[in-house]
Amino acid sequence: MSIITKRSLSRRTMLRGLGATIALPLLDGMIPALTAATRTAAKPVQRLGCIYVPNGMEMRAWTPAAEGAGYGLSPILEPMKPFYDQTMVLTGLADKVAVPLPGEGIGDHARASSTWLTGVHVKKTEGPDIRAGISMDQIAAQTLGKHTQLASLELALDSVEVLGACDAGYSCAYANTISWRTPTTPLPMENDPRAVFERLFGASNSTDAATRLARIRQEKTILDVVTEEIGSLSRSLGSNDRQRLNEYLEAVRDVERRIQTAESQSNRELPVLDQPQGIPDSFEKHIQLMYDLLALAYQADLTRVGSFMISREVSSRSYPQIGVPDGHHAVSHHQNDPVKLEKLAKVNNYHVKQFTYFLDKLRNTPDGDGTLLDHSIFVYGSGISDGNIHFHLDLPMMLVGGGAGQFKGGRHVRYKNETPLANLYVSVLDKLGVPTEQFGDSTGKLEYLTDL
Amino acid sequence: MTTRNIASVIAAGLLIGLALPTVQAQSPAPQDHAAAKPASASDPATPSRALLDSYCVRCHNQRLKTGGLVLDRTVNADDVSAAPDMWERVAKKVRSGAMPPAGLPRPDASAFTAWVSSLEGSLDHFAIANPNPGRPAPVHRLNRAEYANAVRDLLAIQIDGRSFLPADDSGYGFDNIGDVLSVSPGLLERYMLAASKVARLAIGDPTLRPGTTTYRSSPLALQDDRTSEQLPFGSRGGFAVPHVFPLDGEYVIKVSLARSLDGAQIKGVHTLDVRIDHALVKQFVVDAGDPKSKNIELRVPVKAGQRLLGVSFVGSIDSALPRDLRPAQPPPTAFAFQLYPIDPAVSSIDIVGPYDGKVSPDTASRKAIFACQPPPGSTSAATEKACATKIISTLARRAYRRPTTEADLKPLLTAYQVGRAERTFDEGIEWALEAILSSPKFLFRIERDPANVKPGTPYRVSDLELASRLSFFIWSSIPDETLLDLASRNKLSEPATLALQVKRMLADPKSKAIVDNFAGQWLWLRNLRTAAPNADLFPRFDDNLREAFVQETSLFVDSQIREDRPLIELLTANYTFLNERLAKHYGIPDVYGSHFRRVNYPDDRRAGLLGQGSVLTVTSYPNRTSPVIRGKWLLENLLGAPPPPPPPNVPALKENGEGGKPTTVRARLEQHRSNPVCASCHARMDPLGFGLENFDAIGQWRTEDAEAHTAIDASGVLQDGTKFSTPSEFRKALVARKADFVGSVTERLLTYALGRGLEYYDAPVVRELLRDAGAADYRWSAIIMGIVQSKPFQMRMLPAAAGANTADNNAPGKEVPATSSTRRSR
Repeated sequence: MSIITKRSLSRRTMLRGLGATIALPLLDGMIPALTAATRTAAKPVQRLGCIYVPNGMEMRAWTPAAEGAGYGLSPILEPMKPFYDQTMVLTGLADKVAVPLPGEGIGDHARASSTWLTGVHVKKTEGPDIRAGISMDQIAAQTLGKHTQLASLELALDSVEVLGACDAGYSCAYANTISWRTPTTPLPMENDPRAVFERLFGASNSTDAATRLARIRQEKTILDVVTEEIGSLSRSLGSNDRQRLNEYLEAVRDVERRIQTAESQSNRELPVLDQPQGIPDSFEKHIQLMYDLLALAYQADLTRVGSFMISREVSSRSYPQIGVPDGHHAVSHHQNDPVKLEKLAKVNNYHVKQFTYFLDKLRNTPDGDGTLLDHSIFVYGSGISDGNIHFHLDLPMMLVGGGAGQFKGGRHVRYKNETPLANLYVSVLDKLGVPTEQFGDSTGKLEYLTDL
Repeated sequence: MTTRNIASVIAAGLLIGLALPTVQAQSPAPQDHAAAKPASASDPATPSRALLDSYCVRCHNQRLKTGGLVLDRTVNADDVSAAPDMWERVAKKVRSGAMPPAGLPRPDASAFTAWVSSLEGSLDHFAIANPNPGRPAPVHRLNRAEYANAVRDLLAIQIDGRSFLPADDSGYGFDNIGDVLSVSPGLLERYMLAASKVARLAIGDPTLRPGTTTYRSSPLALQDDRTSEQLPFGSRGGFAVPHVFPLDGEYVIKVSLARSLDGAQIKGVHTLDVRIDHALVKQFVVDAGDPKSKNIELRVPVKAGQRLLGVSFVGSIDSALPRDLRPAQPPPTAFAFQLYPIDPAVSSIDIVGPYDGKVSPDTASRKAIFACQPPPGSTSAATEKACATKIISTLARRAYRRPTTEADLKPLLTAYQVGRAERTFDEGIEWALEAILSSPKFLFRIERDPANVKPGTPYRVSDLELASRLSFFIWSSIPDETLLDLASRNKLSEPATLALQVKRMLADPKSKAIVDNFAGQWLWLRNLRTAAPNADLFPRFDDNLREAFVQETSLFVDSQIREDRPLIELLTANYTFLNERLAKHYGIPDVYGSHFRRVNYPDDRRAGLLGQGSVLTVTSYPNRTSPVIRGKWLLENLLGAPPPPPPPNVPALKENGEGGKPTTVRARLEQHRSNPVCASCHARMDPLGFGLENFDAIGQWRTEDAEAHTAIDASGVLQDGTKFSTPSEFRKALVARKADFVGSVTERLLTYALGRGLEYYDAPVVRELLRDAGAADYRWSAIIMGIVQSKPFQMRMLPAAAGANTADNNAPGKEVPATSSTRRSR
């Protein structure tokens, strides 16, 4: 560890001469998103984002008092005011698979984050034999990702390097991500903005077309070598030993697909931008930069699916900038102490406020006949409601975005108690054009999304 | 919740905890064993049986199956062969004193010890008759640290792994566990990106466009002293960084100052030096009253290669004074600090370039790569290809860690040719290098089963595989030429040669990897990076102190290993490494300046690791000490007896200020002992933490509780009845449990060395290793050598039930180095 941190190894030059270089945050509201929608307005492109907040919520300050249309926003949701018409607050949904099986004991935090988007009771293990389920975003990515360079983008703010911080009895994999490509492949979430940038724009010297094409030729050559090698290595290994190589091969295929898409779209003009310089010092700058990048990825149509973990479960991040110098996890075990409840609500509200920073960007980015926000769906919430007792029922959830007119916002809907959270996902997938009969512990579609 | 409910919930918690982490889920549950071998109730009443009946079966019977463990008469108490995994768990629980639980009757210590010893003896016999060296992941990905070190050793350039690759998931407390290191598309992209950047950096790409690299200092690092050993004596602030300049050319260096926007916050007139490889390049005058003087920028020609860029101020009288004689100023964590005028500080350095870049023929990395050059002026494809083949095969041998074959070279030469056709000879080599660095043969350590090996029969790994096991263990990197050469002649596994090589490897500076990667994770030092002590309570915790903590413990562990001290000195050594900042923090006089030096303690308060700020801080909460975390940390990492996880829904302790007058943490923890259900575990944990209560949450010595204003009570009673009342008595009590301590360190180090979690069949190995190392006082060399010579390190086995694990073609032929099929027995 060193006080001095190296923040970048950029060889990227800014595109000068096209006017001033724009540093991130850079979304130019006037650049329309690069999507098929701009050409074929008839069928708007959908984008999905799943945003996870940890340690539950101060439910009294989250759940709006009134139901139905015209409900009044609760204190935590106050920042959502400008997006009232495109927000549905969903009450009563339950992540029942996060509840321990008899004898399974503690680990509610790990179960909360690992089940939230998978709907599957995960295997309790600290070893390599982890098992969850394919997460909803990844099911969406299988279809929506066909047209983009990246099938999905996984973002986080925490580093996974902290030891001793995973939930007892559960592998760190359950705590580090909400996205699972397969039941046994958790997708690492990236917390370094510079790395995200490189995932989006690759290692080419510049975003200009000729340079990108040259880089693509080189990458294809390298992939050819690698593919050939995996083949011969695989043949020399026992069948049980090939698993990791198969994983690698699958990753190679994915990269190949990305490169092919990039090649076919290489004449496309990308937004002019500067590479971020690593992880910013403040939480607020960090989260906003990550939201900038996600918005940019949607805008440039580099991906249509994103997941974002605002913090890992059991996060003890403190928020002195809003008057909460205590650890988040500590205040979430509030014991109904009014002082702690107020602090918890402040943290919850602060997270929502940062989310609106993102929504605001999307609303100012034209996309086809509307804006990016009009053609997106965001699922925002937590796998725990009352953090004090790790309650997995009656979750704080909201659905945000226009969903291309397939949702009717401006409402607070209360569902029958213990309605599976997975029902929401079946409906969301359906609206995204990925019809799914059943997902996780779903019992059907979620009602009342389009109208009362 | 009724008491009854609590009790049952806690009981459930206890049960889970009983499963030792060393026992894997794959091993059949103990009940199955019992069922498979139904013993009659007429088992003879042997001493073992009698002991189990008296002290264990009350909970561990068919009805309760507490902890999934049955020890009643359905189990033969005198035959471990039916369930060695279960008996290892039993031995471990009893040996560590965790069972029988506090409050329940236990036999007298000598009888119990004798029984455990005989149980362990039977298990050792069983292990000799049924050897099982285990099987580390056959395809084991290089982690981030290993990747960066491999690049350093292969290409002679230093890269910061953190800016190239994401952090790796960890398992069993380490991030080098083969089964955990998975591959995802995102990760592969990062590896490919890294390969491309590294290849271009190492070779020097003449088409490189100017780019910006920024280095920043932390805003919470004070620059009121010399900040680096790499900067001149008498300098103040700034920083020094190694930077790889990819080409000979001109580079723009921009220095940004903290607070440069508002002149009122900086005071005085200062001289700023910019140095490259210690040579002064230019001096600037920074005048608080002259805004223009804060634009510090120069354009300077630099030769390609890794150079040390240093930026620092010429120190004033103030910074030459001992700290307590300097004018006071608020700590950088305080709000007031923002308004307080300070001497200027460097906040970041931008390096922009290269401009007019030319490839330099003689950088260290080009020398490492270009084993030959095509004759100048030659355009013959054949001469070029011959040279390319030489370069590529040399690199591939080191990168793949074995002699290369035709099949290895063919695809690499194709990459070369495509790159050559695109532009130049160098470009071709760059493409081939990028292919090597992206290749699964480089990114994965692969161990193969020889063709005719029988499942269930242990066999030695090949010498080449052994070379990699060694170098990744001791250096976290690829083998060097010496190891490769010995291994490819099958000499490495000769015991005398092996011992000599281990000695040589430990003496090499590269063995610092054990400190960084093993100790860094074992002792949670890496967590210091994110430790955030409450700034109101601990205003003096700045990044200088954070950095000093890391330095201290790293230097200390490094000195212990290099001087080959007995392991127990980790707890007892009466010296440490301090600079002025840290000495002040510890209250140790007469240490001046930023340089770290070895200091003997005036008393034994802080002896060993347990007096070091690093360890004391990462085991505390931001606002206070936590005897529970410290106790748990000690049990897990130093005593090898991790407590079971707490039961669900335990309320947090009441913090001070939540009604009532402030009390000490100790008083609040009394809840743990008044409640018998909590006490069963906390009676083991909390006293260990109490012993360190004289150290606050950032490791400062204290005799009074800052909030409750009462004297610190650092007394406690260990579960075995040992009483202590000061940290040094507490340490003596731990030293008395030397066997637990050295056993625990050995288990952690073995886990790290093997890159896999330990299993029940490793326990006899650890016991044997410790018996042998005991003769050498458990010195580091004895432990490390013991690990290297152990069966799990030298051998591997196909699991008995893995008959289906066959290769497609039974003749792996060219792919497999000849050595593995021509194994020599010895």
